[in-house]
Amino acid sequence: MTEDIILKLEGITKIFPGVRALDRVHFELRRGEVHALMGENGAGKSTFIKVITGVHAAEEGKMYLDGREVHFRGPGDARDAGIAAVYQHPTSYPELSVTENIFIGHQLSRGGIIQWDEMNKRAEELLAGLHAGFRVTEEMGALSVAQQQMVEIAKALSMNARIIILDEPTAALSRTESEELYHIVDQLRESGISVIFISHRMEDMYRLANRVTVFRDSRYIGTYEVDKIPESDLIKAMVGREITDMYPKPEVKPGKELLRLEKLSRTGYFEDVSLHVRAGEIVGLTGLVGAGRTEVMEAACGITRADSGRVYLEGRELTIRRPADAMKAGLILLPEDRQKQGLILSWGLGRNVTLPIRRELAKGGVFNDEKKEREIAKKHLEEVDTKAVSIFDPVSFLSGGNQQKVVVAKALAQKNMKVIVMDEPTKGVDVGAKAEIYMIMGELAGRGYGILMISSEMPETLGMCDRIYVMCKGRVTGCLSRGEVTQEEILSLAMEKSAGWKEERG
Amino acid sequence: MAGKSGRAISAAPKDGLRSRILSWEGALVLIFLAVQIFGVSISPNYNFTNVLREMPKYLAEIFMLFGMACILILGDIDISVGSIVCLSATMACFAGNAGAPFPVVVLVCLGIGLLCGMVNGFLAIKLQELPTMIITLGTQIIFRGIAEVTLKSGGSVSMEDVAGLMQMGKKLGPFPLSLFFVVLTAVIFSVLLNRTVFGRELYAVGANKTAAYYAGIEVQKDRFICYSLLGGLAGVCGIFLLASLYGANTTTGSGFEMEVIAMCVFGGIATTGGKGNLTGAFIAAFVIVCIRIALGQRNINTQLILVIIGAMLIISVLLPTISNGLRAKKQKR
Repeated sequence: MTEDIILKLEGITKIFPGVRALDRVHFELRRGEVHALMGENGAGKSTFIKVITGVHAAEEGKMYLDGREVHFRGPGDARDAGIAAVYQHPTSYPELSVTENIFIGHQLSRGGIIQWDEMNKRAEELLAGLHAGFRVTEEMGALSVAQQQMVEIAKALSMNARIIILDEPTAALSRTESEELYHIVDQLRESGISVIFISHRMEDMYRLANRVTVFRDSRYIGTYEVDKIPESDLIKAMVGREITDMYPKPEVKPGKELLRLEKLSRTGYFEDVSLHVRAGEIVGLTGLVGAGRTEVMEAACGITRADSGRVYLEGRELTIRRPADAMKAGLILLPEDRQKQGLILSWGLGRNVTLPIRRELAKGGVFNDEKKEREIAKKHLEEVDTKAVSIFDPVSFLSGGNQQKVVVAKALAQKNMKVIVMDEPTKGVDVGAKAEIYMIMGELAGRGYGILMISSEMPETLGMCDRIYVMCKGRVTGCLSRGEVTQEEILSLAMEKSAGWKEERG
Repeated sequence: MAGKSGRAISAAPKDGLRSRILSWEGALVLIFLAVQIFGVSISPNYNFTNVLREMPKYLAEIFMLFGMACILILGDIDISVGSIVCLSATMACFAGNAGAPFPVVVLVCLGIGLLCGMVNGFLAIKLQELPTMIITLGTQIIFRGIAEVTLKSGGSVSMEDVAGLMQMGKKLGPFPLSLFFVVLTAVIFSVLLNRTVFGRELYAVGANKTAAYYAGIEVQKDRFICYSLLGGLAGVCGIFLLASLYGANTTTGSGFEMEVIAMCVFGGIATTGGKGNLTGAFIAAFVIVCIRIALGQRNINTQLILVIIGAMLIISVLLPTISNGLRAKKQKR
């Protein structure tokens, strides 16, 4: 490839009060290249993107566009120069139509009158180019996240963007949706547009990127050709140490059966779901997004109610009407959306940990025992090795990985806990913290907890689970044992075409 | 995994004194003192004895402050309480005039209040998709409507002497009896909010309803209890109002809901839920009462008093935004 550099940044330093967010960072983007930007949370990727898009002004360093030095005074300058960013959660106007969202801020008008027909036509052309299957008159809020991202990309194209930045584009997408996004990025590349994308998923990088640049601790580590660097070297570059075993799955001999779901059904969500988890076992529950995995466990754990079916814990049938019932019995769901469902972000770590056991700790069941609460919170937060200064630190200050640890500590603080259901435990968590969470899962299994992990990530499902249940369209389509499973097998069970159901007991 | 890194997390509570003085409650104490100086400087009659003498007519509505604080901390709102006061006072009047003894009159007033609160609570948990502002707007109209129907064309009812009710307007030394009840209720609710599991739950629900539910809190039960409590306190307000007014009419309690909400917000309780405390609201209530008494003594008309209180409210809500803005500016430099 010829050295056709469209964007180049040299020695960029960005200082926030007390923090050096970027320290003499370099970056180089070729024309028509897909360039991945990787690194752990807090490595400085987002700040760097904001420097490129003119949101932040760098204290030091130079930026060249087409070989000429540029200074962006604001996002408007970057946009005029042909740089556009699409974020993980599109920042759109849900009540407005697709057309309006595409042309917001640069409506086509003649004499102050908005040219609707022309705008709709242009929008249709743009979306047709992206093979979008929805109409321009639809309300933005009615679209899926993937479709909204398409609109954002169309918006970037409508402004003649030459450089498009995608910030964690696949984080909220299902597998098929990710696949669609890959196609779009391929198309962009073919039409000569340069793409920078940030992602925690190795899969995205291998599928899309020509080159990858790694940041660590606000510093530039290196730029590599994707097909020339082994994965372990890349992880080492990101984390700064060698992770010898990403999936430290301990060999635990499964004990007695803890959780059993029998023919659990909820109309419109899932049907006849039966599964079981034994002590010391890590059981995976996988399938495409929307297959009903979360819904099954929500019903089992009392968040919602099943229409029919039974839930047994240690052979005893449970009557679960609300989350408190499930927790009392020894079954807890650590939800996928930590920030909305799992934690009270404005509260300190400690209070979050002891919230479910507030009543057991209270004097006479009425008055809070703050001293005992502090001791228990400290003990369990240290047990999972949370990186924090004080149990009074607000949870919102923590990284995704540490927030997940707080959620785990919340489960451990409940003495009678037997089965821990973790829904996408490593979502939004960087690679170093992921390894730590897997280690915690392994240790918990070793202690005799039954772990059920709902996950869309194939590598962790294959790496950590003793048995894997696969769901498709609200039904369990198979149960596969560790060691005999391939990614293809899981995928074919997760896809609609698989009719039969397969069981291999280990 | 235990102690793998040996990293210790501090569990020592932070020293609260400094932060408490610098908090909004600290500022409210200063504002309260400033209002006293303001009162003395504009009115020659503004002194301890006179303020206490005029206080009872403003005290009744403060009972509802505590229930409203709970509702706001939950992230809900109840604008029907003024109408509940009207309905419960009206019914109590009729009961008294029908010859019911004092305890029965009190029970009727409390009971009607509690019942109305339970109706609000029931609707709030059954119609979760509706904003509680709209639900209680509906019940506000309904409750006052029932009172108006009961009052018929005259639109008012006078309370004939009921032994005991007179006693409630009495004083203990220089202090009106109702002040003792207000302080007692404040202590009870302060303990409830700050020291009990129930209080913790209310803050949790207000801060993040979904996470609170996942953590095993019975969100809807707590909401129902709070609405009922507030209804009961509106009944208490009704009793003390009767003790000083000896009657009820179609406008009894009108506007109380907004005054009580204003006191809470001025006291630092966020209408978005999960934030603020009773101490702030309690001091704020007395700041407003003292301003009213001072301006009232100068015969400044009530409409102007409303303008002043409204302006104070907006400034108090804006203050955190302004101070954050200043801090950000300072950091930039």
